[in-house]
Amino acid sequence: MAVYNASELTLILSDIIKENITVEAWDWLQTQTNGINNSGISTTFGLLPRKTGKAQIQVSSGQQGLINASKLDLTYNNWTADRLSRVWLLTQYREEDQDKYFRTIENLFSAAEMNEQVALYSTLPFLSYPQLWVKRCAEGIRSNIGIVLEAIMYHNPYPAENLPEPAWNQMVLKAFFTDKQVNKIYGLDDRANSELARILIDYARERHAAGRDINSMLWYLVEKFVTEQQLNNMKQGHF
Amino acid sequence: MCCSHNIEERSVPATQSTEKFDMDLIKGMKFFDPHVHMTSRTTDDYQAMADAGIVALIEPSFWLGQPRTGPGSFKDYYSSLVGWERFRSSQFGIKHYCTIGLNSREANNEPLAEQVMEMLPLFIYKDGVVGIGEIGFDDQTAAEEKYYRLQLDLAKESGLPVQIHTPHRDKKRGTQRSMDIAIEHGLEPHMVIVDHNNEETVKEVLDRGFWAAFTIYPFTKMGNQRMVEITKQYGPERIMVNSAADWGISDPMAVPKTAALMKLNGISLKDIELVTYRNAITAFAQSGQINEADFVTAIDQSARFEGNSILRGGQQPRIDKSSIIIS
Repeated sequence: MAVYNASELTLILSDIIKENITVEAWDWLQTQTNGINNSGISTTFGLLPRKTGKAQIQVSSGQQGLINASKLDLTYNNWTADRLSRVWLLTQYREEDQDKYFRTIENLFSAAEMNEQVALYSTLPFLSYPQLWVKRCAEGIRSNIGIVLEAIMYHNPYPAENLPEPAWNQMVLKAFFTDKQVNKIYGLDDRANSELARILIDYARERHAAGRDINSMLWYLVEKFVTEQQLNNMKQGHF
Repeated sequence: MCCSHNIEERSVPATQSTEKFDMDLIKGMKFFDPHVHMTSRTTDDYQAMADAGIVALIEPSFWLGQPRTGPGSFKDYYSSLVGWERFRSSQFGIKHYCTIGLNSREANNEPLAEQVMEMLPLFIYKDGVVGIGEIGFDDQTAAEEKYYRLQLDLAKESGLPVQIHTPHRDKKRGTQRSMDIAIEHGLEPHMVIVDHNNEETVKEVLDRGFWAAFTIYPFTKMGNQRMVEITKQYGPERIMVNSAADWGISDPMAVPKTAALMKLNGISLKDIELVTYRNAITAFAQSGQINEADFVTAIDQSARFEGNSILRGGQQPRIDKSSIIIS
């Protein structure tokens, strides 16, 4: 994940937050982020929704234009004020000592409630030391909580930019498995691969045998790696 | 936390009432169960509770039937109350809240209790944490008192209500002591919910301005016929009913069943609503963490739009349990 994009985005995000929460809440957030440190961060992170509220945010067309200009296919329109504010809060946390930084963020993950988990996984593309979060991201993909999976899968550039192939494939498979909107996964085309196609064909065969539907997006990820004849055969149930 | 009953010692009444629970009696009513340990319950329970009109509940932290041996299992337990269990509940359209605290039994392991106390601030400010609980006395030991007091201070500092577990043995004195100590620590009675009351404790609890919660739990606590009498005698003010259903033989339908029995016995709908819904919300909403708009009502689980389920908050469509076919 290009860090330069992240810092540019952070500016846009602060602009969106400012327009979506009260002046008091914005001032509070500023005070909290000034020199935020390892000990204060978990309390601030936890009680943040009490200040910002949880209303769905509105992104102006101008702001969306700026996001689009950053060349990232991202949308924040269905986010809540607390989720975006939490992400932004963590972007303001700096720590030179990599181990300390890691422990502080991991500590937030390990005690997170449902909405906190959503915010934390949404923060992955903005965190420093991107490679440190690969295991954490893979762990999140093991979650069975729908909104947590969606925070990782939908419009989140971190997995495409950082996950090794096996973990990436696991995420895509899990998206099919849990009925997610696969087209919202960031980087789906760039990360398509033959091993994923093989796994998906296997999965399609199993679904077919069980008399269950097959999501049409599955064929989209398979078609580059098989002949047209093979594809048509499989679509008709001949594996 | 509920039962210290020993299953072998339990005496089953010779004549059991066989009156059937008629769901039509409570049709259209909604309920709030302010004390139920869902971690120990199945999805069938969640489904039955939702069907009976339970729209929200509070899961107090308690012990797990056997003592934990390290701080990690406490941390995972608290985090499951705000994480996985909250999600499970949402699948049935039931809003899940919790109270966080060190229960009295495990307060007796002091080295561990110290570590748990250090952990509590990490959880009590989280969304949907509506109080410190359930805390108080079990054996009424010095260690229990020490951690009860420390947690009262924590409640005061955080502005959260307190959910007090009152002991099974020496109950009346234990209840009085719990209230005395709460006052001593500067808590206002309206911020304290005294749980597991009975005919012996209720008068003083109400007279002193505390909330009086009643646990409808077979064999060891209140039966709901007694609850009907108490409501008739004391009126609905500051009284609430809960199931405290847990891993023991208990009934997660205790609140709707009690409402039905109250209705059969001529208690007004307004009063029933207070003791099975409204009062608990009023008491715990002092945490600032309960918004009734978050309760999901009238779920049409079959509704789909262009093939996409519109179930809210990750709810799952229900399965027909009466069918022999599992697909």
